[in-house]
Amino acid sequence: MAEIFIDNVRYEFEGKPLVLQFMLDNGLDHPFFCYHPSLSIPANCRQCYVEAGTPVFNRETNSYELDESGERVIRFFPKLMTACSLEASDGMVIKTHRTSELVKRAHKDTLEFILVNHPLDCPICDQAGECPLQIQTYKYGPEGSRFEHKKVHKPKRIKLGPRVILDAERCINCTRCVRFTDEISKSHQLTIISRGDKNYPATAPGMEFDDAYSLNTVDICPVGALTSADFRFKARVWEMNQTPGVDVTNGKGCNIDVWTRDNLVLRITPRYNAKVNDHWMPDFGREDYRRMNENRISRPEVNLDGDKIKSSWNNAELTFTEAIEDVNPSEILVIGSAFSSLEDNYAISAYFNRLGVNDVYFTPHIEAGSGDGFLISDDHYPNTNGCRALGFNEVSAAELKSKITDKSVKAIISLEDDLIGRGVINAGDLKGKFFAYFGSNNNETSKAADLVVPITCSVETISSYINVDGILQRTVPAKETIYTDRKLNLEMSLGRLDRYGTKFDNWVSDSNKVDCIPTWEFLERISRNQNSSLGFNESGDVFEAISSNIESLLGIDYNKIDELQGVQLEISSNKTEV
Amino acid sequence: MSTTYTFSKEDLAEIEKIKAKYPDKKSPVMPVLWLAQDKFGHVNDDVQKLVAETLDLPPAHVFGVATFYTQYYKKEMGKFVIDVCTSFSCQACGAYDILHYIEDQLGIKAGETTADGKFSIQSVECLGACGYAPMLQITNGVYCNHLTKEKVDVILDKLKKDEMPAFERIPFPQHTTAKS
Ligand code: SF4
Ligand code: FES
Ligand code: FES
Repeated sequence: MAEIFIDNVRYEFEGKPLVLQFMLDNGLDHPFFCYHPSLSIPANCRQCYVEAGTPVFNRETNSYELDESGERVIRFFPKLMTACSLEASDGMVIKTHRTSELVKRAHKDTLEFILVNHPLDCPICDQAGECPLQIQTYKYGPEGSRFEHKKVHKPKRIKLGPRVILDAERCINCTRCVRFTDEISKSHQLTIISRGDKNYPATAPGMEFDDAYSLNTVDICPVGALTSADFRFKARVWEMNQTPGVDVTNGKGCNIDVWTRDNLVLRITPRYNAKVNDHWMPDFGREDYRRMNENRISRPEVNLDGDKIKSSWNNAELTFTEAIEDVNPSEILVIGSAFSSLEDNYAISAYFNRLGVNDVYFTPHIEAGSGDGFLISDDHYPNTNGCRALGFNEVSAAELKSKITDKSVKAIISLEDDLIGRGVINAGDLKGKFFAYFGSNNNETSKAADLVVPITCSVETISSYINVDGILQRTVPAKETIYTDRKLNLEMSLGRLDRYGTKFDNWVSDSNKVDCIPTWEFLERISRNQNSSLGFNESGDVFEAISSNIESLLGIDYNKIDELQGVQLEISSNKTEV
Repeated sequence: MSTTYTFSKEDLAEIEKIKAKYPDKKSPVMPVLWLAQDKFGHVNDDVQKLVAETLDLPPAHVFGVATFYTQYYKKEMGKFVIDVCTSFSCQACGAYDILHYIEDQLGIKAGETTADGKFSIQSVECLGACGYAPMLQITNGVYCNHLTKEKVDVILDKLKKDEMPAFERIPFPQHTTAKS
């Protein structure tokens, strides 16, 4: 196998890796700015310098030339090389800052140059704490600056587009943002204008940076030049918890990080998954944090003579039980939801199957042509394939409406899906029937319900989804409900404030927790009231039941989903065209 | 006030010839911008847009190229554009004195145009004539070298009479065998 020597350590490689990526893959820290694994390589920041050489091969003897001490003679490139654009070759020798004074000096000097016109405003800069320039300056930069002149001033607070704001002085002209719009989102909306120390990125005159993926440039900007209009100045990165999740705003299921502080989700950023979304996600998926925080259903609600009033859980359980016992199983209509997780859907179907209701219906929310073939799918819901896998009856909106309005139906149980809001039915269709709605957010449909059961949303409990391509993924709770505690739940992440703050510190707040429980927990309580049990004590039990009952999910558990970063399932191609 | 800029049939034929010279779409940007500047006297936002449309390129790309070069005029300029080099060699030989002298003579600052539309002044980066510093260039054409205030007076007088100063030929100092 081909070999390469980095700082006198031998590594083996296959193919033609780039030296910088190879070092990073092998856990060797190395400074760089402009390189990004999913973009083209312009090698313009010059921060990733290494010394590189290749062994001298003697064609006559067909062997490497050796010096007196029997070591291979290495011919070094006359100048330092940029590791990001350098392809590894057999026998190559690389010296980094660990073994070469020259490289160490080069890293320092390049940084000194980059910093010549860079404002020293880290204390008020949003990027501080997650800024490659800041981190690398600490690690590799000069102690001070020898630049005693006035810095070049450039425009600040430019609204490049509705969601992205530019501080041109902070820009180091790495061109990552420009390459993103050229190569990934293909909107070609950005360019670097002007020249020399006056450079900065801009849109063409009169044009807006309104790319549907524009916020990805904020993520990849290695400095604080591009910031999110929405998130800027909201929180320091080290004050937040970062928890892996899955985007539920459409069928693609982009992998995300959910950033919370005081149990409010403050921002959503994409998380790398080669199978699903690479490093990217659409802008509207990031807006979803509002749904997680705002307009939540907290505490059950019952309808008393046309008025919604908050009720105790006990009362909600009783209301539910009575209503169900009042009618025959054949008079109950159970509606699953392609918006909800496998766990929620399965729990509902398992409970009602026991009562003798065998069919669960759902109607997908697919709008042909609304997707873009990249990360925005035609399917507006994250779990259509999940409902299919559970064997639910997939019906059109009209069919569902006629089921709901059917005279024989006396009680309707519906899992989070705004059927009224999206025009499947109208409130009048529910007249004279008992309607229970399990949901996280207030909407038209919850308003029309006789009983509203507040359930956890995708960031409050483990939720699994099967995306449009048949990839099974799951979330981890990021936000506490009033019944969960991140210090006790080992799956939840702890930020600095959680770890070091106490309930009595004024920077820790207990508000923002919603009074809700997972669907399975509510139904388990109901079952226990009826002296039976679904056997659910945690989400894992529900998933175990799913994987042992549903053939296509056989043998899969949460660990496997995590390990494989999403499990690819066989999905039937007979999707309904809507 | 907005003018609509269009290319004539002849221009478009010319542009087709330019395009034929290059293997890819992006390359003709510079000569086509140049052609547009010859025609309209400048390549302001609207002209850049016209170029982008004509070449079927993202407007941002054309904007990037146009702003990179001081030789492309991004707004309407005076009849004579005086580009005074203020890069290192010229600066060391008194370029700023010359620039300020011209500014005083014309009553405008670098980056501005006289009210009669006759002169614009720009302070530009190295024009590759460091050997004859300080120097200036007139409307992307004639170089005037080894500038002194007296020489500037002569140049401005000529320009006021719409006469273009002649190109100066400055022979390179030849290699000699002199040793000392
Ligand atoms: S704004 Fe950021 S990403 Fe864009 S060129 Fe500047 S430093 Fe790079
Ligand atoms: S990362 Fe190699 S030159 Fe920028
Ligand atoms: S510095 Fe003025 S021409 Fe080079």
